[in-house]
Amino acid sequence: MNIINKLTAKKDLRDMTPSEVMLRKARTHKGFKFGLGLLLVIAFLGFIAPLFISVSPFEQDLSMRLLPPAWVDGGTWQHWLGTDGNGRDYLIRILYGARISMTIGLGAACVGMLIGVTLGIIAGFFGGWVDQVVNYILTCQLALPGLLLAMTIVFLVGPSILVVIVVIGALHWTLFLVVARAATKRIRSLDYVTAAQAIGASKFQIMTRDVLPNLKNQIIVIFTLEVGVAILSEASLSFLGVGIQPPTPSWGLLIAEGKDALFYQPWLIILPGIALFLLVLSINMMGDGIRDITDPESNIE
Amino acid sequence: MLKWLKYTSGIVLAALTILPNIAFADKSDDTIVVAFSRELTNLDYNFGTKTEYIILGDLVDDSLFYVEPKTLAYVPSLASDFKIVNDTTVEVNLRKDVTFHSGEKMTADDIVYTYNFIMQDDQNSRHAKISDWLKSIEKTGQFSVRFNLKEPYANLFNDLYRVRIRQNGIMGVEGNYDSNAQATSLNGLGPYKVVSFDPGVEVVLERHEDYFGGAKGFPAIKNMVIRSIPDIGTQQAELMSGGIHWMYSVKQDLGTAMARSSRINYQIGQSLRIGFLVLDAGGYSGKGHPITDVRVRRAMNHAINRGSIAKHLIGGPAKAVHTACNPVVFGCYQDVAQYEYSPEKAKNLLAEAGFPHGFDLDLWSYRDKEAAQALASDLGKVGIRVNLKHGKLAGLNKARKAREIRAYFGTWGSTASPDTATISNIHWRAPESGDRNLSGDPKVNELMLSAERTLDLKERKRLYAEGLTLIADQAYWVPLWTYPEGVLSSSDIIFNQDPDGYPRLWNITWK
Amino acid sequence: MLRFIMNRLLVVIAVALTLSVVAFFLLNIAIDPAQAIAGEEANFLEIEQVRERYGFDRPIAVRYLEWFSGLLQGDFGTSYYWNKPVYQLILERIPETLTLALMSLSVTVLVAIPLGCAAALKPNTMIDRFALGIAVSAQAIPNFWLGLMLIILLAVIYPIFPVSGDKTLYHFILPSLVLGTSSVPPVMRLMRTGLLEVMNADYIRTARSKGYFGWKLLIRHSLRNALLPVVSVLAVQLGHKFGGSVITESVFAINGLGRLALESILGADIPTVQILVFIFAFTFLALNLFADILNVYLDPRLRK
Repeated sequence: MNIINKLTAKKDLRDMTPSEVMLRKARTHKGFKFGLGLLLVIAFLGFIAPLFISVSPFEQDLSMRLLPPAWVDGGTWQHWLGTDGNGRDYLIRILYGARISMTIGLGAACVGMLIGVTLGIIAGFFGGWVDQVVNYILTCQLALPGLLLAMTIVFLVGPSILVVIVVIGALHWTLFLVVARAATKRIRSLDYVTAAQAIGASKFQIMTRDVLPNLKNQIIVIFTLEVGVAILSEASLSFLGVGIQPPTPSWGLLIAEGKDALFYQPWLIILPGIALFLLVLSINMMGDGIRDITDPESNIE
Repeated sequence: MLKWLKYTSGIVLAALTILPNIAFADKSDDTIVVAFSRELTNLDYNFGTKTEYIILGDLVDDSLFYVEPKTLAYVPSLASDFKIVNDTTVEVNLRKDVTFHSGEKMTADDIVYTYNFIMQDDQNSRHAKISDWLKSIEKTGQFSVRFNLKEPYANLFNDLYRVRIRQNGIMGVEGNYDSNAQATSLNGLGPYKVVSFDPGVEVVLERHEDYFGGAKGFPAIKNMVIRSIPDIGTQQAELMSGGIHWMYSVKQDLGTAMARSSRINYQIGQSLRIGFLVLDAGGYSGKGHPITDVRVRRAMNHAINRGSIAKHLIGGPAKAVHTACNPVVFGCYQDVAQYEYSPEKAKNLLAEAGFPHGFDLDLWSYRDKEAAQALASDLGKVGIRVNLKHGKLAGLNKARKAREIRAYFGTWGSTASPDTATISNIHWRAPESGDRNLSGDPKVNELMLSAERTLDLKERKRLYAEGLTLIADQAYWVPLWTYPEGVLSSSDIIFNQDPDGYPRLWNITWK
Repeated sequence: MLRFIMNRLLVVIAVALTLSVVAFFLLNIAIDPAQAIAGEEANFLEIEQVRERYGFDRPIAVRYLEWFSGLLQGDFGTSYYWNKPVYQLILERIPETLTLALMSLSVTVLVAIPLGCAAALKPNTMIDRFALGIAVSAQAIPNFWLGLMLIILLAVIYPIFPVSGDKTLYHFILPSLVLGTSSVPPVMRLMRTGLLEVMNADYIRTARSKGYFGWKLLIRHSLRNALLPVVSVLAVQLGHKFGGSVITESVFAINGLGRLALESILGADIPTVQILVFIFAFTFLALNLFADILNVYLDPRLRK
């Protein structure tokens, strides 16, 4: 059957399957559509567009340093967004930075999800003292000044993209845990889970087969929002000089490098900042959207 | 609850509207404000090493000798004259018109006390290892002292400049010295006295009206405030809005851009600082790495376009250097092997050494990120794939001590000490007593350090020439360029930069 | 109630202790304290001398216990970097951080609560969308970037505010805006949903049926009930601000605890970082405890 037809057919909400409801909600949710659209554009610019540009983000031309964007006095259309302090094309560096941000955002959110969901399901499923231990770890994590920990670890291990991903991920799992634990507790008491247990399904089987799939929607929402948080964290770390290493063009690093030129070449700060803002904005709007869409209670006018 | 909220928000609002009353210091109250990037945490220069402390020390303290900026020669300051009796005996006569900030007169007792204290407390004093060369100091009269040296010491006057004189008894008595006695309040001899000190924030100074003038001269401005503003962007903004009058270590891009404003002047001149790459030729970080091959090190020397980076990136009067010292300082012999910029030669040398496809190299750096990236890029062009490890100094120190560093990008300021000894003493120590000499060549250590034990100027020069030639031949370093010193100042003041780039702030005057 | 508080207090202490152990070990592995004390230009021998003199050659666990017993006797240690007792350093810098935290909290309150109320009063209108837009944007703006932008705009192009420093309360306005903005989204959202919930509650409907409408109704009945959970969230946010001002304090050169923490890490000043971690954790936990107590106090169901 043709999906488009199916969707355009005016059906009563009650007759639709849950996924149909979601699709329909998604199609009418403005925030979600805007966020997704913007994200797709940024992803295209970050991953696809550089393939068609012959300039490398690492190619330096010291005689062409600190050019302003093309539309400003002294700019040239050879470098649309000007050049940085090492005479590298700023446009390609910002485009490339989208990759770095997205990779780290996704990677860190995955690490966080892995830690948080695992702990959450275990705590929710077993309850009792296990729950209390997990709760204790949670409190420790919440009380820890994250930035200080991150800096110490980066000092210890030395900075690299992988280290940054793991460190940020290891600092952002608390939301996953809280949500996964609450949902697991709820699901565990449901009839079919008790039934599964009665017919001899192992605990691991129940957790992975019955509990996990039911957490999916909520986890996706948290995951999306955490990607945004992780991207901002990476930018902050790089801004402080303990994140991504030069010459890799992380947006936070670009802002830090441009900071010295704050008053005479402010676009070095403004441009990557806007890029960062738009990316996180698109992700957050998508996250908010997914929350509304997957929430069975919500109605979108 | 609501009431409470109402009240607090009311108070905050009221407070916000009353406050706006920021007083800027200026000519009318004869106060100049200068900004430092690093925090001052201790007033006592005898226990600090960084440039900021040397500057502060010259403002609030005085010492027997002083570097005359025009000729870069050591001239008497607290001393009135001196006599070199023989290789290991120096007699110094003191000025009789010198008073401490507290009002007491300085006598030979203060000098003897200071040197004895520093000698005893050498492990706390972070710069001058006086006990390396000083056997004893004795008072020979109310205003004269005699230094008895353990062995001839060439850089003697530099150390006599570095040691700031303290009042007799002020740091405690022998056996019970307190290194922190002058850390937060200071009774010095310098042109300015400390009025108040907020560690990490600011030092407020006032002219010492009884200052003797001498080699430094008498300061024109009555009050000086040194503010610690770690962020250079913030410093610029403060300068533009009139919050500070003077800032330094300003790169050319920024300086020229800021100087477009008529209220701001920019000067850029030579300094004694040079940049260089230290290469692990001795294989301390593991044997068998390409960098232990002299051809590879020479290739690296050929690969870097020093001239272009110096001209475009470092700016000002920056020039390429080929020696492991700044060409203007004493003993910096220039007629050594020079590796001109030639990627072809570099590639050939690499191929000859058996690395036609290059190799991977971790390059550590902590300062001047732009230049570090330019270096990485140049090395990359000949096939040396650089993984730049740009971080904080503490990280580099740790790795260097653990012998994990194959190559690092360092700089050395030799602040106000125009002698090859200043840079060579720390960089060519024997591996047992230092971790910066990665040459693995005992001959370098022997030549460079024996020069310090030689008083005869010709012989010293010869030893340095031989040492520097060896360093260049074996390409133990990649000497890079000299660094300029740039200063931004408000057009309300007159500050003239000295040829060594070292800021002598007491010379500032109002326009 | 008392038992609940006692229990939670025990958890607070246990967590703060755990974190101090973690911090102590991590810091001592990451940074060589002997090198930090001996200084940048020290050589091998000097570093070894320092190591012996300060006893850094002993096992890390022994040193932790020593540190901890010192702490119990009120000895917070001495900073290597600043050459003075850590408690003194901290006392000097608490006022700045406290000022910044309270002022930024005021910014949050002044922006988030009116916006949240307006959005809840007129759900699904332009006002509501505007409020949500502000929340979503505030969430996406990197703190340090906002700080730099405000400096460019309000201190340089239009020199209304001082660029940096902490001399007067006036200096705190821009940094408070930056730090306050980051808390606007959660507080505003909570205000909005809380108010919507309360307004749909039975007693409000009753009030409405009696003829109370709009702002009058909002202030007299709904706001009070909706505000209480917001206050507990604000307490948590205050805890965040106390420890989370590292970047803001650095950008605006405010000499508070955050900047102290950053400088201490970069300067390898372990004793100071150690105490700061403890303080940050403790403040955060204490404010959370306060929020929890408030919640229990408000919700009779939890009181048992």
